[in-house]
Amino acid sequence: MAIVGSFAFEEDFLGAAKTLKASGFDKLSLLSPIPVEEAYEVIGLDKSRVRHFSLAGAIFGAIAGFALAVGTALVFILPTGGRAIISVPPYLIITYEMTILFGVLFTLLGFHFVSGLPAWRDRPYLDSAGIDRFVIVVEGVAADQATRAEAIFRDAGADEIQQVEDGQ
Amino acid sequence: MFDHGQPSYAEVNKDIISTMLETGPKYWMLLGGTMSVAGIFFFMPWIYQLFVGVGAAGMNHNAVWGSYLSNFIFWIGLSHSGTLLSAVLHITNSPWRKAVYRSAEAMTLFSLMTAALFVMVHVGRVWFVHWSFPIPNQMGLWPNFRSPLMFDVMAITTYLTASSIFIYMGSVPDFAAVRDASTGLRRRLYTIFSFGWRGTAREWHTLGWAYTFFAVFVIPLAVSVHSIVSWDFALSAVPGFHHTIFAPYFVCGAIYSGTAGIVTVMYCLRKFLGFSRYIGQVHLDSLGKLLIALSMIWTYINIVELFTTWYGGTSYELEALSFRLTGFYAPMYWEMILFCAFVPLLMLSKKIRWSWNKMLVVSILINIGMLTERFIIVATSQPRKFLPDSFGFYVPSWIEISITFGSFAIFATLFLIFIKWVPAISLYEVKETLKPLRRDA
Repeated sequence: MAIVGSFAFEEDFLGAAKTLKASGFDKLSLLSPIPVEEAYEVIGLDKSRVRHFSLAGAIFGAIAGFALAVGTALVFILPTGGRAIISVPPYLIITYEMTILFGVLFTLLGFHFVSGLPAWRDRPYLDSAGIDRFVIVVEGVAADQATRAEAIFRDAGADEIQQVEDGQ
Repeated sequence: MFDHGQPSYAEVNKDIISTMLETGPKYWMLLGGTMSVAGIFFFMPWIYQLFVGVGAAGMNHNAVWGSYLSNFIFWIGLSHSGTLLSAVLHITNSPWRKAVYRSAEAMTLFSLMTAALFVMVHVGRVWFVHWSFPIPNQMGLWPNFRSPLMFDVMAITTYLTASSIFIYMGSVPDFAAVRDASTGLRRRLYTIFSFGWRGTAREWHTLGWAYTFFAVFVIPLAVSVHSIVSWDFALSAVPGFHHTIFAPYFVCGAIYSGTAGIVTVMYCLRKFLGFSRYIGQVHLDSLGKLLIALSMIWTYINIVELFTTWYGGTSYELEALSFRLTGFYAPMYWEMILFCAFVPLLMLSKKIRWSWNKMLVVSILINIGMLTERFIIVATSQPRKFLPDSFGFYVPSWIEISITFGSFAIFATLFLIFIKWVPAISLYEVKETLKPLRRDA
């Protein structure tokens, strides 16, 4: 079972989240219409792993870009006015562009991997979380703990509390 | 920041999403009009050119580049405002960015698409355009990566990909808001578009990191793209093209025309979508100040270009310069100087900077000047190179003029479709500029 509580004010929402966390409810999702930095701290988010993807993508792109330019020149040799076949200055431009291209693509991949999206299955959600409400979803709540979780919501000032099925 | 009082969070959703969900006959008439203009003035002449050959354009033996390429540079330049400005203002955390960046990024995307069309028109046999990609053709021949044209292919492909991802990822939370406000097929579509976004702390945190990395990647990319476009010219030995200052000149010109383009687009959004509550004087004033600074940099670079050519004293460079300043196209050159160096100085007056109508006129004049600038570069250099026996003359044909006109309709069509599918103003970022939902606020 999941308990969903909705709050009109940010500090009530954060207060409830901290209390729930301290009371041993670990499967918390904190939903908000805008990014809330303090919510990151409550659920222990610090530096995102996305940055590793960005770095890996940029390094891969740099190597791939240079290899593409050099490999192309070697596969089909075009001697031009005695100039070098492997001409580093222009190939660095290709390297630069590919660094950025793969940096961006890997960052996108990192976003999906770290955020767990896309997730098109049904999960506990209130439409108002996309408008002006701060919502806490506590999943995996046993029947005997539901009353305690609801009490925490009520004490913190929730204006709506629902019991729903856990996400599929 | 808000001209008519702060809206509530719910009003932000309602105001912006309603422009997508409620579509009146005026919109359909406008869309039909732009599509018709695009069809008649762009695609029909292009099809005609495909049948009779690229000789239908005014390009000739001495002027193998014409208005198609000058238009290509113009549209690439116009694309430079959006993503670049958005990324810079995101990194510097400027609050006035939030209401304008989505449409500015869309401008980037659609300008790039329009620019890409001009490459296809220019090359003539468009069915061979894939030869420019890094794949071998049937003879086992690979593209030559020492050519600046290949730099272009790589840079523009990367820029188009990065800009698309940048605008899409920034829109994901807003797609979720549209999903929540819709029913039926639209709801199902936006569920897919939004990846099932719920706005959890983990999702916001990851998006924040990813978005910052996108911005960090996009800034040097945008600078590189127009530098590379300038090298299409500067790496040749043609007088009037072969200038070391071309890269900063093109980058500055691109941001300049792009920023003027944002003012035009903002005017339209305010006027036709009723966003006067969100796009206010602070945005106009900030864009006006930015335009003044850019016009001064642009003017300085022009003076440097003239001075270095004169000081260099090379006969064929002086001939090309003289043709530009006093020849057949001299009136267009001086029109460009008037519109891009002098007219923007009007914005030093707060009266001009704070008037939407006057700023619209100034922004359009700047872009007419910038369109002329690109044409002047192409039309006065190649037909005037080195010895008089290789001198020629280039005047665009009616086909080229028609296609140039039609390209604006293509851009307008794409933008009109965009505003019905993507919130033209970022919902969540506008909310971040409002009074926070806190008891102590």
